[in-house]
Amino acid sequence: MQSSLQIINQVFEIQTKLNDLNEASSFERNMNRLFAIFEDEGFVVKNPINEMYQESRTDCEASIVGNTSSKMKITKVLKPIIYQKNGEQMQLVQKAIVIVEQL
Amino acid sequence: MKAVNFGIDLGTTNSLIAKYENNKVRVFKNPFGQKETLASVVAYRKDRILIGDKAREYLTKDAVNVFGGFKRKMGTDEKFYVVNIDDNVTPVELSTLILKELKNFVQGEEIPEACVITIPASFDSMQSNATLKAGKDAGFKDVFLLQEPIAASLAFFNNSAGESQKSEGYWLVYDLGGGTFDVALVKSTEGELKVLDHEGNNFLGGMNFDTAIVDKLIVPEIIRQTNIENFEDEFRVKYGKYEMLYYQIMYYAEEAKKELSQSPSTVIEFSADIDNTKHDFYITITKAQLDEIFLPIINETISLLKKILDNNQLTAQDIHQIILVGGSTFVPQVRQELTDQTGIPVNFSIDPTNSIAIGAAFYAANKFYEPSAKIVSEKETEQAVEEILSSIDFNPIDLTVEVSYNRSSRDTEEVLLIACGGEYENKYYRITRADGGFDTGLIPLKAKKTEFLPLISSHNNSFTLHVFDEHKTELKDFAKELSIAQGVYNIDGQPLPHDICIEVDDMENKTTKLEVIFERNSLLPQKRTLYREISKTITKGAPESIIINILEGDKNSRASSNLTIGCIEISGKDLQADLIKGSDIEIQLHLTDSRVLNTSVFLVMTQQEFKNVFSVSEKQVNIGRLKEQFIQLEIDLTETVRQFQYNEDDIWEIRASALLSELHEVKKTLFKLKDNDKSDDKYVIAQKVLRISQDADKLGGNERIAMLIETYMTRKEEVFALISGADFIKDEMLSQYKKIELSEPSFIKSKNVSVIENKLQQLHDLYWKAMSNTTSFLISIFIEYKNASANEYKDYNAAKSIMRLADTALEGEKYPEFRRHVFHLSSLLKRVRFNFNNDFKGTGIG
Repeated sequence: MQSSLQIINQVFEIQTKLNDLNEASSFERNMNRLFAIFEDEGFVVKNPINEMYQESRTDCEASIVGNTSSKMKITKVLKPIIYQKNGEQMQLVQKAIVIVEQL
Repeated sequence: MKAVNFGIDLGTTNSLIAKYENNKVRVFKNPFGQKETLASVVAYRKDRILIGDKAREYLTKDAVNVFGGFKRKMGTDEKFYVVNIDDNVTPVELSTLILKELKNFVQGEEIPEACVITIPASFDSMQSNATLKAGKDAGFKDVFLLQEPIAASLAFFNNSAGESQKSEGYWLVYDLGGGTFDVALVKSTEGELKVLDHEGNNFLGGMNFDTAIVDKLIVPEIIRQTNIENFEDEFRVKYGKYEMLYYQIMYYAEEAKKELSQSPSTVIEFSADIDNTKHDFYITITKAQLDEIFLPIINETISLLKKILDNNQLTAQDIHQIILVGGSTFVPQVRQELTDQTGIPVNFSIDPTNSIAIGAAFYAANKFYEPSAKIVSEKETEQAVEEILSSIDFNPIDLTVEVSYNRSSRDTEEVLLIACGGEYENKYYRITRADGGFDTGLIPLKAKKTEFLPLISSHNNSFTLHVFDEHKTELKDFAKELSIAQGVYNIDGQPLPHDICIEVDDMENKTTKLEVIFERNSLLPQKRTLYREISKTITKGAPESIIINILEGDKNSRASSNLTIGCIEISGKDLQADLIKGSDIEIQLHLTDSRVLNTSVFLVMTQQEFKNVFSVSEKQVNIGRLKEQFIQLEIDLTETVRQFQYNEDDIWEIRASALLSELHEVKKTLFKLKDNDKSDDKYVIAQKVLRISQDADKLGGNERIAMLIETYMTRKEEVFALISGADFIKDEMLSQYKKIELSEPSFIKSKNVSVIENKLQQLHDLYWKAMSNTTSFLISIFIEYKNASANEYKDYNAAKSIMRLADTALEGEKYPEFRRHVFHLSSLLKRVRFNFNNDFKGTGIG
């Protein structure tokens, strides 16, 4: 499973770089396809960018920039959240590595 | 008496729990994130207590309420004032919380009643007693202590078969963790292990490596590229303008360190806004650079190691080996420098991250305690009854906890209302989500409380509400299971009454099968993109076509038992270029609230897109597909009639024959129809085929279903036995077997003949797959092939040369090669088994 997670992380990183270069649209179909393949293999990948951050979120490992507050937002995602499907059940297999900031 | 079996590494930075069972040790994983380690940090946030990794996030941000490293203060009278609760906490109380949290790692089995907890070799009696107290306060009936270097040695000796005989003498245990370093001299005499001496540094560990990468390699490069002189000063300012960049770079530094354990060089790439200008950095780091900057840190540890040797008048020759412990010993240079500078062999055969917990569990296997629920002898009965009576709580807790929430939701979070009655003060609750992605931490109970539960979309989210007493010990009787289905059933939305499927080719069996797109009960609207391959070549301008047939019904039944709700035919005349077999096709489907089906088909090879909109109220029939569905149904019904005849089941035979005759009534009309027929005949026939197919599924009643289930169960056992004895691709077949087994409850519950027959067919296919991957069967088949006459082969000369190769492979016991030749030989035979429909065209979608 470890190598599958590594591949997913690499694809995620490529996607992030393409976004930064404003080139994401050219590769959107390929990216969607790759993530669909991961899902067929039982891995559900989630990018929590711009989502609210709470201390109850055990799906993320956060570094907090600035002061802590009850209203914080995920502003950078270095690794995505990955769940593994097992029949009807889902299991968190990778926490996202994120940076959060006060709103 | 019962063996303790549980071992705990109560570490300064991280803690772990392990259990000895069946001659092996299992390290438990945190249900939140599946890591073996739990950060030894406790955070008293404004409204809750967080324990572990989540607490660590706040360590530098909220130092007056978050505590780590308290292990160093065990046995002292030091107390930490917590601003948020306006009270003091002791290191023992904090350690107790960590131990209780570790107990939660052990799920679904016996709750540990006793344990072995490891302590540093440097711990004095006060510190040891404080650890014992923390263990008892955490609810352990009996607690045994074990020094960490001894635990590591035990893990090592139990892992190395035969090493124990050679273990007499001196060993060094080198423990380089995330933030601490310890080295201990261990002596082994007649099977007894004893720590003779130890040295350590509480502020030396893996973090120093990461910081060195940032300070000495990355920051100088940033300064070189940006020419900002005061960057280094500003970079380190708490809450400064580069704080985000700091965390980002620390993460990259750690990743680079890991990568350079295996590669000679790596690249750190990132972009950053520095002084309002965007800079792109591309920094190459080599292992040689790392070696240079890590050397001073490693030298510091080695000097402590040498100090131990000097203090004990020992030389390198007196030491058997250095046993490595702690995650930072993964750094190759640590191992290399230790070997080079000390001349002592370095052993890294055990996992350095969990070896102390493993060693503690080995030790626990030989420690015993009196379990709470003991079996009493007859003589002890009277006393036991008294004990039981005295243990019954005649004053149960006066507490009620009621919850209210929606069982289904379309939102990303759902509100939970908690109402408490009775003595809820000084008690806590905690809500966790089963997948591990949500944990509220410990929150004080109140008369009324609201909690927002985040939901994973299109999934049944399971939560557990736990209740704890004032000592943070769980009151198991008050636990509640909560379940919220996101995106399924909702009074505001329309659930799908049937499965929506696409018909795809099963070329092996010359038939088609259904693949579910949207499951029954999914909430509308639904959208999905399918990625498939073209299963036959279609040349530009040719009359052949691919058919995208969307059906509504039961995903497990045959296509003809389902209603076609959308059909797209793309023929060679529509193509701008040839469409080659194996090229990709993307099918995007969108079913609206009002059940209008929008489809978009994209052919990757020709870069063409075909869009269609279908209304579910309009019938869709493709004559070519209808004919093939007819043939399949005819084959199935003929086989059913034959089975009833064989079983002498006259009544069902008559009914099956009647259905077959009814089917034959429309055969002539159907096969006369041209593809471009404009009449209503195709709709009438399609409707009839659909009804006959559905009736065919009911033939034989419950008896037939019971018989099929019985056949399935018997065949299942046979298949499992065959797979177990197979010689090739065993894991692959086992995983296919488990997949079928996993779907068992749903298809048995369906009570649908074709559904169960479909599963039987899958088992049947697996049966032959297992046979053809068993050497003894391959040998018997090979003999049969050798005895076949020349005219049974397409190319007998080629077959003869393969037979010779197979013979040689068999003589040389080269079974994988032999298997390859037998498969090749089989492909040269003219006969094709189970080929009922040689004119099968299918949908063109694989």
